[in-house]
Amino acid sequence: MSSVPMRETPMAQHGEGIEERFHQLASAWQQAVAHHSSSALRYNHPAYQEIIALGAPIVPLLLQDLEQNRRHWFAALKAITGADPVPPDDAGKIPRMTELWLRWGRENGLQW
Amino acid sequence: MVTDFEALFPGLTGTRYQVTSPKNDVYNCIAWAAKDTQVWWWPDPGGQLYWPAGVQRAEALSAFREAFESLGYSLCSNDGLEAGFEKIALFADGQGNPKHAARQLADGRWTSKLGELEDIEHGLHDLQGAECGGVVMIMKRLLP
Repeated sequence: MSSVPMRETPMAQHGEGIEERFHQLASAWQQAVAHHSSSALRYNHPAYQEIIALGAPIVPLLLQDLEQNRRHWFAALKAITGADPVPPDDAGKIPRMTELWLRWGRENGLQW
Repeated sequence: MVTDFEALFPGLTGTRYQVTSPKNDVYNCIAWAAKDTQVWWWPDPGGQLYWPAGVQRAEALSAFREAFESLGYSLCSNDGLEAGFEKIALFADGQGNPKHAARQLADGRWTSKLGELEDIEHGLHDLQGAECGGVVMIMKRLLP
């Protein structure tokens, strides 16, 4: 289990622009790929890639959305943070992966 | 909100497909075909999703064939109902990229989990199209 220190980024610091953009992209992504199983189709979708490109400031929003809506941000979180708190034995176990990523966020001082 | 499956899969229009579960993001089509409702199966290169141990982790039909071989399935030449066997079907796009799997039911119809959406019961070829690709491989194994 790896841990990457990250600057504390409360939601208020995001600004409405990035938050609004995130929600637009997240909705577009879910609508486009919800019926797909393929990680290639799901994670290579332009909206998902644009979310990754938003970088570290988006991480608290990803964690918040993961907690509230359980959209699959695991690949984006890993790509942005370089962390991988999910051990191989838990690969694909969505509730457990969610729990581990949320714990990782709290342990790294993130607020959402 | 109920998914508009006929918009996604026009081949379902006018058929007697039916939704057979609520939405669930825990398992996907490959898991459902393998009768596993606890994990999301896919050979993602990042290793974040479940894939059977010892099977190549590649988004290639050969890897999916190996995955089902690890469950006792072998290649089969037809998608008809066969006494004493259960069957799965693999779908891929025109470039051979795996996109979907379905499992045959006891009455010869098929069941699919659609990503993180619902399970549906359907005719095998009614899902074919832009979203799922086409049926490219049938496998079978002896019923327990």
